[in-house]
Amino acid sequence: MANISLQHLDKIYDNNVQAVFDFNLEVKDGEFIVLVGPSGCGKSTTLRMVAGLEDISGGRLLLDGKDITAAPAKDRDMAMVFQNYALYGHMTVYENMAFSLTLRKEDPNVIHKKVLAAAEILGLTDQLNKKPKQLSGGQRQRVAMGRAIVRNPKVFLFDEPLSNLDAKLRGATRREILLLHKRMHATMLYVTHDQTEALTLADRIVCMSMGRVQQVGTPLELYDTPANLFVASFIGLPPMNFFTVKIEKGRAVGAHFTIDLTEKEKELLAEYEGKEVTLGVRPEDVDEGGNVEVQVYSNENLGMNTLVHGRLGEAHSADSAITCKLRGWCDYKAGDVVKVQFVKRHFFDKNTTNAIR
Amino acid sequence: MTIRNMDDAKQIQMDRMRYTKNTLSSRLVYLAILFDVLFFVSIYESDVGNWYYTALIGASIVYNLVFMLVSFLASEGVKNYKISYGYMLLGLGAGQIARIFILPMLAHAALTKRSDPVLKKVVEVPVMEGGQFTWVIVCLALSAACCLSAGLIAIGRSRKLTAYNASLAEMK
Repeated sequence: MANISLQHLDKIYDNNVQAVFDFNLEVKDGEFIVLVGPSGCGKSTTLRMVAGLEDISGGRLLLDGKDITAAPAKDRDMAMVFQNYALYGHMTVYENMAFSLTLRKEDPNVIHKKVLAAAEILGLTDQLNKKPKQLSGGQRQRVAMGRAIVRNPKVFLFDEPLSNLDAKLRGATRREILLLHKRMHATMLYVTHDQTEALTLADRIVCMSMGRVQQVGTPLELYDTPANLFVASFIGLPPMNFFTVKIEKGRAVGAHFTIDLTEKEKELLAEYEGKEVTLGVRPEDVDEGGNVEVQVYSNENLGMNTLVHGRLGEAHSADSAITCKLRGWCDYKAGDVVKVQFVKRHFFDKNTTNAIR
Repeated sequence: MTIRNMDDAKQIQMDRMRYTKNTLSSRLVYLAILFDVLFFVSIYESDVGNWYYTALIGASIVYNLVFMLVSFLASEGVKNYKISYGYMLLGLGAGQIARIFILPMLAHAALTKRSDPVLKKVVEVPVMEGGQFTWVIVCLALSAACCLSAGLIAIGRSRKLTAYNASLAEMK
């Protein structure tokens, strides 16, 4: 059992810079939580506070109902995997994995069993006599994970563990982490700035910006019903397109297009009649056909899809740029005009930036 | 799992040797080097007069250097279960025993003339007197014991590991 409760956590550094504001989260046993956000948003600081590597300035941290806010890192029964692996270069893989248990003066035979079992899980059995410098980046990260596994901690903490790997290896290691979670069913907190990692790994995602939680939800919730403009722009690749539109008599009137609203949208936007709102459209929710004219300036074929970058009308303003992810192989040239429609639309309040629901 | 029976403590102990080093033998060799150094610095403590200034001094210095170098090399070898270094350590241990009968014994048996300030006359005394003689013998004996035990442990463990690896290979 490992339920973690983060209650109103704050982090204020000695120079009075506040990195985390009122962070609240209930992590259930066996849950895989991913903290995602841009650099400097406070996600690593939050993880380090959970690990005990940073003092908690305000709020409470509970592990299985026990207050561990002030407990030292060694007494928290959590294992952390770092971005830079933090392996001992002069030790073999076996020695690296056994090190924490040796320090605890555990029986060498028990250590041996645990190390072999972890190596088996991670596919490192044949590498146990090698030194870290003889391993690839992915293997080194697996050793770092193995070191965490042998401790059999209540909670696993990952601080951007895949950032040092190339794209191919990152994908493979990501799948390994997912398998590891399924196999061990351990509570995991994972920090990343990569939304692909967040979407593929998480049971729930915590999206952060400027030290504050923007939205907590399943990957689908964050993708499908983003709470605000930040989440909408951060989750999804390519990012969502945004346009300022005015709600007028059942229609959304933009600078370069007018679209008819559905009955549901009319109901939703009733109180915004005559006001400006932000319209968000994901590139994959743009289809050919319709009455919105896009002037193409580049065309990227991805095989199954084509990314068409263009603008609405002649203006070069940010409000007129659009990216469309069209199905199939398209061969548009710069200057071509494509007529598109917005299949699914998100609306955000212009002042609060919150989603209109 | 490469290990055959994870509940058998002896089996696990054997399997552990595949991934851990023979640090016991290696540390015993370091101890042997330490006692050798103690011996070597101790033999200059008494006034040996001219007795020691023969080819013996050169030979003992050179052997001492060779001993330290070779034993250090052997300590690294036995750490990785290389059986040949175990035999080398047995040889070095035997050499240390032999050294007891060369320099310390000869120096203890030899007499040198020295003026006695109490009797106010020249007397004949052993080149290496009782206390120092015992000390250097103890140093050499301990150095020899460390080398021999390190060698024996290394040979034993190397043989066991080789046999275990062979049995694993057979299983495959």
